[in-house]
Amino acid sequence: MLEKLLALDRRWIFLLVIVALTLPFFLNLTCKSYVSPEVRTLYDAIDKLRPNSKVLMAFDYDPASEPELNPMAEAFFKFAFTRRLKVIILGLWPQGPQQADRVLERVFADSVFGAMNLQYGVDYVNLGFQSGNEFAIQGMGSSIERVFPRDVRGTVTGDIPIMQDVKDFSNVDFVFNLSAGYPGTVEWVQVAADRYGVRLGAGNTAVQAPLVYPYLGSGQLTGLLGGMKGGAEFEVLTGFPAKANKFMVSQTAAHMVVILFVIVGNVAFFIVQGRGRKGRGEV
Amino acid sequence: MPQLSFADYAAIQVGALLTFGIVSFLYKDNPFYKLCESIFVGLSAGYWFVVLFWENLVPKLYDNLKHALAEPTTATGSLSIEWLYLFALLLGILMLLRLVPKLGWLSRWPLSFVVGATAGLYFITYLQSNALRQLQATLVPILNFTDMASGKGPTSTLNAFFKQYLGNAVILVGTVSGLFYFYFSKEHKGWFGRSARVGIYFLMITFGASFGYTVMSRMSLLIGRIDFLISDWWPALMGGWM
Amino acid sequence: MLAGALAACLLLIFDATAQEATAPDAVVTAKDRGSDAGGVIELSWAAWELPADVARFEILRGTSPEGDFETVAELPGTDSGYVDETAVDGQDYYYIVAALIQTGGHPFVAPTAGPARSSAQWFNTSRLNQFIIGAVISLAIVAFIWAARSGRKLFVRKIAGLEAVDEAIGRATEMGRPILFIPGIQDMDNVETIAGLTILARVAHTVAEYETTLNVPVSRSLVMTTARESIREAYLAAGRPDGYSDDMVHYLTDEQFGYVAAVNGIMVRQKPATCFYMGAFYAESLIMAETGAEIGAIQIAGTAQPAQLPFFVAACDYTLIGEELFAASAYLSGEPRQLGSLKGQDVGKAMGMIAVAAGVLFLTLSSLLPGVDLFRRLADIVGGLFQVN
Repeated sequence: MLEKLLALDRRWIFLLVIVALTLPFFLNLTCKSYVSPEVRTLYDAIDKLRPNSKVLMAFDYDPASEPELNPMAEAFFKFAFTRRLKVIILGLWPQGPQQADRVLERVFADSVFGAMNLQYGVDYVNLGFQSGNEFAIQGMGSSIERVFPRDVRGTVTGDIPIMQDVKDFSNVDFVFNLSAGYPGTVEWVQVAADRYGVRLGAGNTAVQAPLVYPYLGSGQLTGLLGGMKGGAEFEVLTGFPAKANKFMVSQTAAHMVVILFVIVGNVAFFIVQGRGRKGRGEV
Repeated sequence: MPQLSFADYAAIQVGALLTFGIVSFLYKDNPFYKLCESIFVGLSAGYWFVVLFWENLVPKLYDNLKHALAEPTTATGSLSIEWLYLFALLLGILMLLRLVPKLGWLSRWPLSFVVGATAGLYFITYLQSNALRQLQATLVPILNFTDMASGKGPTSTLNAFFKQYLGNAVILVGTVSGLFYFYFSKEHKGWFGRSARVGIYFLMITFGASFGYTVMSRMSLLIGRIDFLISDWWPALMGGWM
Repeated sequence: MLAGALAACLLLIFDATAQEATAPDAVVTAKDRGSDAGGVIELSWAAWELPADVARFEILRGTSPEGDFETVAELPGTDSGYVDETAVDGQDYYYIVAALIQTGGHPFVAPTAGPARSSAQWFNTSRLNQFIIGAVISLAIVAFIWAARSGRKLFVRKIAGLEAVDEAIGRATEMGRPILFIPGIQDMDNVETIAGLTILARVAHTVAEYETTLNVPVSRSLVMTTARESIREAYLAAGRPDGYSDDMVHYLTDEQFGYVAAVNGIMVRQKPATCFYMGAFYAESLIMAETGAEIGAIQIAGTAQPAQLPFFVAACDYTLIGEELFAASAYLSGEPRQLGSLKGQDVGKAMGMIAVAAGVLFLTLSSLLPGVDLFRRLADIVGGLFQVN
């Protein structure tokens, strides 16, 4: 029986995981999110910013990481607009600024934010994509306009109202980086935070989050949202529960299936191994 | 769901087909998966070619050289800085000479430039951010007797005491034993070997935590796809287009 | 004359009927900010003795003590300094700081500060510690490279996983199945890719001897050209130049998941007996390793990406963890530069280990014996070594 379990066709496990993920979509279940200290740190940092403070949002991911990072971006936009912060969007990945536009569409589809009548160029701007990876970040330390001479609509950066008094990082009050790989949070920490003293928060995919935890401990990062869970916690904190919270039930169910199989698999493995040793007279 | 245009409807259907095609690999390799894989590979190669051409080559090389030709000197009479891009053009041509067998050796020059420039930049960046700042953060007392004696700070309760100082001790032991493991100039024997073994245990625990995070990440991506199929594809399939 | 010019300026700013008062005890210092690229002058002042709290400060700047002054900044009353980032190098500047108190009335004016002249410096002396540490490590690397070149044998400990390379290649030869080598998904500017290609050269040499099939799909064009060259030279060194073919190394796509989809397809269709993953990997690593495990291939991996190591450790038979990849590259190639670099880095690690242990010890002792200043000073010295400005 245990041998059969160890030799179980992995496709049964795939099927169980898919069922665990899909079923909650049809059940009206909720999952409570407990806020972790790193998410609270990010929230507090943004909460302390005065109205009209400039926040730079760097979208360094592509559609492959959309399920994890778009909910974070949406919650951050809503929080920033509620606090009357000015948001400057840019990206070091080509599809990053496009993801920002998609998220903003969702945000403005919400009647609360639609009614705010936020103006492009005054309350927020999308400077688009720029190649160069960490060299682009370094360039922004001297002049953001030189690195991003125009926005996505072709307007000269210097002519955009929100950018009038934004020359370099010293004129930006906070940078929030959404990252799925390279270039991403590591490069923003190394160049923007360490070299130019920028206050930096990050939202990462869960794959990348463990990599940037050391930066949190050393104070190089001010807050971190790790994976969809981090996004869900941030949604709860900011008061805008949305997709990330909705998906937490599926996430929990899938994790329970995985944990069950890990435990069962290990128990079966050690029992079978023990039986084998007994059979060979080693025990 | 709002009525979709035909373009949006088609995009959703194609997206769903490709999703099913790629996921069908979980059952077994099949021609449908091969087709979707080929579409993905070809599309991504084409996409990156276009992005690199329009976002890199044109604005960085062509536009800058065009500006240099239009304004060869600055107001003060010195050469425009954009002339430096001639050097970049030269390096690019040397790189392409890789395709000419007799002149292929010339492509080592631009390669060396790229590797050397990156190494120089990374040396200071990584020394600062990944080495010194991290080592600085590791300098914490195992026990702060002054705090304990005065009864203030996080040591004021036993719980906080363990949380802070046990954590500090774990950080110290983990950092030093990890460094022992990656020290290649000494054989892992005796006390050194035992310390290195402690280091590998710390590494394995870290890998386990990282693995758990990654499982969460993969599940999240799958949830995103399932959400697309349930919230976008199925209603579109049932509702059609306008 | 100065007072007249000052009065004229201030009357333009403040109430025309007001009169200014001097604050002779207020000392304002203006000096060039050191260790920078120029264009910056720093002003600072201590708390002023005034009849009430300061509501705001006005900073005025001129290029001569008798000339016109213009307002360059208004600061909150709690500030005690100002950084003028619009100075022109080589130009003398004079500054007047005027305080308006909360009860209103005339401003209090400090004596003129200056002349101050901004300039650029060659060195940022606040980063001297980083320079020293970097220089020590660099010199150690150069010294060991020199030692390796002069024939001295440099010890590198055994690396588990390397011994399995030949066995893995032999297995593929016996089974008559190809060997798959993935040199990561980053470009030639990534040091892991370089290490991966060094190991590829070694693998190719053995493959050439055994006459096994080698398949190297890559995701960067530069890597393709370099890998072809490495394998061609390896086959030449093994005395099998005719066995080499450019088709061994082929480009797929730059796109991460497009690449892994294609690699998965290759694995499932060609069923390689041995898979090597040596280089920089990201999210695609687990997908490849899982597929390799599914087809029953022996898998040897090596990467310095901490996020991907767990997957390789779980799914592969042998994993070179982090720096072991570079050590393996140095060990296999025996190249003096790689060996010397490895040994030089060990010097840096030893320095780090000793400094951390010493720093923690001094900090703990200074809290145990607060009356003994020596431990606090020693802890500050160690802390200062790692200071990043």
